[in-house]
Amino acid sequence: MNMNAINRFPAKSFQATTRLPGWLLLIGLTFNGLPAAALWGQAVCLPSPRLLTTMPMGGEKGTTVSIKITGQNIQEVTDLTFSHPQISAKAILDAKGQPTGDRFQVTIGKDCPTGVHEARVTTRLGISTSRAFSVGDVAELQRDKPNQTLETAMRLPVNSICNAWLAKQSVDHYSFIAAQGQRIIVDCGARGIDSKLKPVVIIADANGADLLVERRGGLLDFKVPQQGEYVVKVHDLTFNGGNAYFYRLAILESQPGAAVTRMASTRPVNSFSWPPPGLDSRLNRPEIEPNDRTAQVIELPCDISGSFFPAADVDLFQFNAKKGEVWWVEVASERLGLPTDPSIVVQSIHEENDQQSLEDVAEFNDIASPVKVSSNGYSYDGPPYNAGSSDILGRLEIKRDGKHQLKISDLFGGTRRAPQNIYRLVIRKAQPDFSLVAWALHMNLRNGDRNALSKPISLRAGATMALEVVAVRRDGFDGAIDLKMENLPAGVTAMAVRIPAGKSRGIMLVSAHHKAPAGLTGARFTGEAVIDGSTVTRRCFWASMKWPVANAWSEIPNPRLLADVPVSVSDAEFAPLTLSPNRQDVVFEAAEGSKLTLPLVHSRRCDFSGASMSLRTFGNGFEKNPAFEASFAAEMTEVVLDLKKLKVKPGDYTVAFYGSAVAKYRDQLPVFENLQEQLRVETAEEIRLKMEQKNLADKDNAGGSDDRQTEDPSARIAETLKKVSARIVVLKQKVKVAQSRAAPKDIVDIVVSQPVRIRVRANGK
Amino acid sequence: MGITTASTDPFAPHLVVWSFCRFGWLLLFLPSGLSAGDPVRVSFVNDVIPVLTKSGCNSGVCHAKAGGGQNGFQLSLLGFEPQDDFESLVKEGRGRRVFPALPKRSLVLAKASGMIPHGGGVQLAEGSEGYQVLERWIREGANFQSQDEPRLESLQVTPTKGVIAIDGRQQLSAWAHYSDGSRRDVTRLALFESNAESMATVTARGLVQVSDIPGKVAVMVRYQGQVAVFTAAIPLGAALGKMPSPHNFVDQHVFENLRQIGIPPSAVCDDSTFLRRVTLDIVGRLPTEKETQEFLAAEQSNKRDELVQRLLKNPGYADFFASKWTPLLKNRRDEASDITANFAFHAWMRDSLLANVPYDQIVRELLAATGTVVGNPPVAWYKRVKDPKEQLEDIAQLFLGVRMQCAQCHHHPFEKWSQDDYYSFAAFFSQIGRKPTGTRGEDMIFHKRGIATAVNVKSGDVLKPAVLGESVGEIAADEDPRLQLADWMSSESNPFFAKALVNRYWKHFFKRGLIEPEDDIRDTNPPTNPELLAALEQHFVKSGFDLKELVRVITQSKTYQLDSRPNRENLKDRQNYSRFYPRRLQAEVLLDAIDDLTGSPTRFANLPPGTRAIALPDNSYNRSSGFLKVFGRPESQSVCECERVKSSSLSQSLHLINSAEIKRKLSGASSRAARIQASKIPDTEKVEQLYRLAFSRSPTQVEMTVAIDYLQTPVLDAAGKPANSKKQTQENYEDLIWALMNTKEFLFNH
Repeated sequence: MNMNAINRFPAKSFQATTRLPGWLLLIGLTFNGLPAAALWGQAVCLPSPRLLTTMPMGGEKGTTVSIKITGQNIQEVTDLTFSHPQISAKAILDAKGQPTGDRFQVTIGKDCPTGVHEARVTTRLGISTSRAFSVGDVAELQRDKPNQTLETAMRLPVNSICNAWLAKQSVDHYSFIAAQGQRIIVDCGARGIDSKLKPVVIIADANGADLLVERRGGLLDFKVPQQGEYVVKVHDLTFNGGNAYFYRLAILESQPGAAVTRMASTRPVNSFSWPPPGLDSRLNRPEIEPNDRTAQVIELPCDISGSFFPAADVDLFQFNAKKGEVWWVEVASERLGLPTDPSIVVQSIHEENDQQSLEDVAEFNDIASPVKVSSNGYSYDGPPYNAGSSDILGRLEIKRDGKHQLKISDLFGGTRRAPQNIYRLVIRKAQPDFSLVAWALHMNLRNGDRNALSKPISLRAGATMALEVVAVRRDGFDGAIDLKMENLPAGVTAMAVRIPAGKSRGIMLVSAHHKAPAGLTGARFTGEAVIDGSTVTRRCFWASMKWPVANAWSEIPNPRLLADVPVSVSDAEFAPLTLSPNRQDVVFEAAEGSKLTLPLVHSRRCDFSGASMSLRTFGNGFEKNPAFEASFAAEMTEVVLDLKKLKVKPGDYTVAFYGSAVAKYRDQLPVFENLQEQLRVETAEEIRLKMEQKNLADKDNAGGSDDRQTEDPSARIAETLKKVSARIVVLKQKVKVAQSRAAPKDIVDIVVSQPVRIRVRANGK
Repeated sequence: MGITTASTDPFAPHLVVWSFCRFGWLLLFLPSGLSAGDPVRVSFVNDVIPVLTKSGCNSGVCHAKAGGGQNGFQLSLLGFEPQDDFESLVKEGRGRRVFPALPKRSLVLAKASGMIPHGGGVQLAEGSEGYQVLERWIREGANFQSQDEPRLESLQVTPTKGVIAIDGRQQLSAWAHYSDGSRRDVTRLALFESNAESMATVTARGLVQVSDIPGKVAVMVRYQGQVAVFTAAIPLGAALGKMPSPHNFVDQHVFENLRQIGIPPSAVCDDSTFLRRVTLDIVGRLPTEKETQEFLAAEQSNKRDELVQRLLKNPGYADFFASKWTPLLKNRRDEASDITANFAFHAWMRDSLLANVPYDQIVRELLAATGTVVGNPPVAWYKRVKDPKEQLEDIAQLFLGVRMQCAQCHHHPFEKWSQDDYYSFAAFFSQIGRKPTGTRGEDMIFHKRGIATAVNVKSGDVLKPAVLGESVGEIAADEDPRLQLADWMSSESNPFFAKALVNRYWKHFFKRGLIEPEDDIRDTNPPTNPELLAALEQHFVKSGFDLKELVRVITQSKTYQLDSRPNRENLKDRQNYSRFYPRRLQAEVLLDAIDDLTGSPTRFANLPPGTRAIALPDNSYNRSSGFLKVFGRPESQSVCECERVKSSSLSQSLHLINSAEIKRKLSGASSRAARIQASKIPDTEKVEQLYRLAFSRSPTQVEMTVAIDYLQTPVLDAAGKPANSKKQTQENYEDLIWALMNTKEFLFNH
């Protein structure tokens, strides 16, 4: 335990609670029951380390590349790490042999798989958010000087990738030489590698006159009309720019007729539910066109790959089925990262007197999100993560024996001619299962809160973080799902509010002990359920925002799945407030229908706005426990759970209490204190030297100087004094900056108690 | 049919002619105002309503005003709903409106005749023909309709067409044809309206008076929901002299028309004029100095054709025509968050034009758009136009040239379109599904499975999709009806789709459409050169709706290349294209032209330096540009091209003469005047350059002399000493550029 860290929230400040005027409190309570502090424009969420850009954003395997990073709250970076062990980084040192902090030599192993990997930095606050890092197998370049005009176009060799970013209101220019008849593919990685850029890519002739344009994120497939130089222009759809608008421009040669592979990209959140466990690709068959008017005959079960092509394509499949049979229909297309909206209609075919008629049996559309998604309205009203999809997952019950027809089409495909918009249709007997995804919980922290912040699992010592976990249930699986996180850093524990039977949402609570040493691990996050008598374990995917969107009104939040789940704990800062049961590792027991009292001990490490905070309850069956107040001044709060009113059935439960509080956060207070101390020492030294100087002068004046001395001490003292004074000037400036940074700032954040285990006994037991 | 120079008697007794019916021949000759002794009972529908219509009682500004009529007395517009009118007259108003016991005391007569005060004044003088009809109807018991009453089936105007000499007159007769085979002269009761008041006026009794403007004019006749049209040719009859040799079918039809009406065309314009004209019209900018020099120096005979081909390959073509289409498609910035949708939509249109995507395909992509705005930008149209009624009205007006708005509430007054036609058109848009996206006000659009229908709000009938009276067949629940509509649009037999487009584009190049307004195509508004319109339409369809080909065929014609200067005879021609009609440069083109001439480009927010005004993606730039606002750049509120201000105004003149914006452009540190002042070439060459830039021609000897005199005359400062020569030279050039900019030759395409 770093005791200095505790001093970051000085003990005297514990008593200094800020009182609000009564009328403000009154107004505060009238606004959706939010704390009065919500009326101020305070920041939301304590600082988290975020890696925002790397330049370049990738490299060729088997090479070493020099990388520069930028980010938020990433002072004191110690490491740059990657999700794949074949990629490693070494800090680049400055002239004094110290790490520059923002530059690294990254080595990509020759066996590293091509694709997108995660890059993160380790900081004093722990692990940062992730940034996509691409590994390819062609030469990589970096734009080395401005290329915003035709005259300054950067020449690129064919079969290379250039890393660059766009300035605002600019168009980047490149050129390449190609031979007549050559097939050139121009692809631009942007959204798929976390960039904010909506790329427009244009191939133009040598004079800059546009020949081919792509604005929808697709690639340009260019048959070179004649030998010569061609220009590639890149800009943002709305000419936005900045270092967040980075891109990787690939100019590749391809053989005529050969299939083209797009640049690798990250996965959308909703892809967590695809493919279903155990899907055997060897059984997959292609659709057989033409099947838009005459149905392709199939047998169930089936696994078919098809394409929504040409425009307004409808694919018909015919099969026999018997009354009472139940099949499960699943389609993946949007979850493959495609801009499609599959729709299915199943009809039974009636044939009578050479006449055929159809009767609707079932219609399948979207996979609904398991939890309410943010409406992006005024206030935060749900996670800005959509775990649902425009794909299909539904139950088909056959109503009568005989022939049936399944019609699949793309509701977005009426006018689009895009053979790359493919689908995979699986019809199977029930194989009950589930898929899981989780993200850092957010809640309405201030009036009109529209934040969609990226939050790494970088815990401050003493903190508990809540992760929202949702499940897509498959083929009628309805059982409870237990959530687990393993391989956590020392001092970090995870306990979950399970996903109950028939429900889709659970909460994982990750807690760092207040004495936990700094640490970082890659956690194993899973869900476990009993299906057909067997225990089944499934991976829980981790999703995060690509960017910390402070105002989702002006910037659409853009989340994605991550490749892994790193968890860190930091001892550089402590949670402002820890709420923990008075007895650790104890199961609190109570009889069914009784009242259970839980003593929550407060460990407060800074000032807060207001006198108390309102707490609500996590826990299956406990959500309706009325909100209660916890005073900041108190050392303990007794929580009373009325099991009778809550109608809690006997069993084992995990509960936790959460709410929001406005901390008087002091950023890097130790730095300030350290500098202050240095300044005090230097100032004392300065005074001492001046005294010494004065004494010498007095002595001289009194004629007491020793002429035998060869060295003049006054010159030495004057020299030292000059140096000390210069250091004081610098220190004063540093102190000023640090003082400003460490001045208390109102930051509203989620406070979650450590989880508490409860056992409700049946009466009489 | 001969030329009529004197009128027939407009006041000849009108006839009621009962022709063959199943009971035999019965011919009665009676004055059209039914007399008291008339054995036939007055019909509310066939007699009373026409009187109310002719008197203007049921016009939109009077008792047919939406929202309750006038003072609680509501009639249907132009009597299209007789049953409602009957109820209103007889059963409402506490029974005071008709008083059979003492008909003259009926409120309807007392007010209309001015016996008691009437806000609308005297409309039916006591004893007038109409007054008598109403009085007799009331006296006979104010009945609605008898069982065997004939129904009006059609209206005929005689003659249907004619040739009228300059300043001549023609009396028209209107005949109503009924279901029992009878017909009736309704000239006094019908409504007459000229489609070009400057060429011909028509009296309430059907007398047409033409002016001294030659060409073609139409008079619409309306009676009881039926319409008929009289078209007249007004020849000039001048000697034609030598006509230019036709280049293509456009010339054949235009010159044939000129031959018929005797208007000699102007000569073909010179190369400078053609270069400037066609460059402005196809790529929306002035020719560069280099282009001018090369074109004027070229000697090959087909250089004009080649120039057209070159311009059509220039990205400026796509920029310019996108600036034409996107305001009509309401690509409007209402909120800051619209920017992505607006940029994407504009770019989609621009890229489609650049790639010369066939017009029917562009319309199809828009009409049946699905998905997200970024994934499929035409979806943005559905962001702006959300109401299915507005969707159908915009589509009909923009792509079919048919204005359906009136038919939402009542039968179209000039057309055959009924409310059923309106709502069955709306049914195509009834299955549009929407899903929210992260962007406020922006939805994903998809086809919502189900049978498309719409309800006629008046009758309550549930209607299936049909377009302008034509069924498109059964549409299954799974099929997006908008795709069927798109199929119908692009079918070769569609009488509206190609016609509307070629007329719109013709207007782009000739200032006046073959049908005016360009988006009001109807039988009662015939084209001035129907043969040409049909030929263009056919050519466009056969070319596969190729927009560039249409532009090519128009601009390569000799007709397009005629001089704008009139000869002795064709000055008054306004619709026969015997000369090129000059027009003011539109706002964006003019701003770019001034930027080019002054050498001071305008900077636009969010866009890279060098972006030209014609490439602006939406209307938001009008807010920051006083120039664009003053010169009438549209705000993308309307589907009508009329939103773009094409007229000139005092504020425009003042802006060009004296605005700070223009002054800055003229005198900036890197302006053309500053650069030209610093250049070492002789003044004559500098003047030459400026003329080539502004007018694509060299100055005349006189112009050169005047310019050089001005530039070289010493200027004295306030103290009477020679002014700073460097500064003065720049100012002199600023003055010269300012003067060139303010000429009509610069401001107009001619």
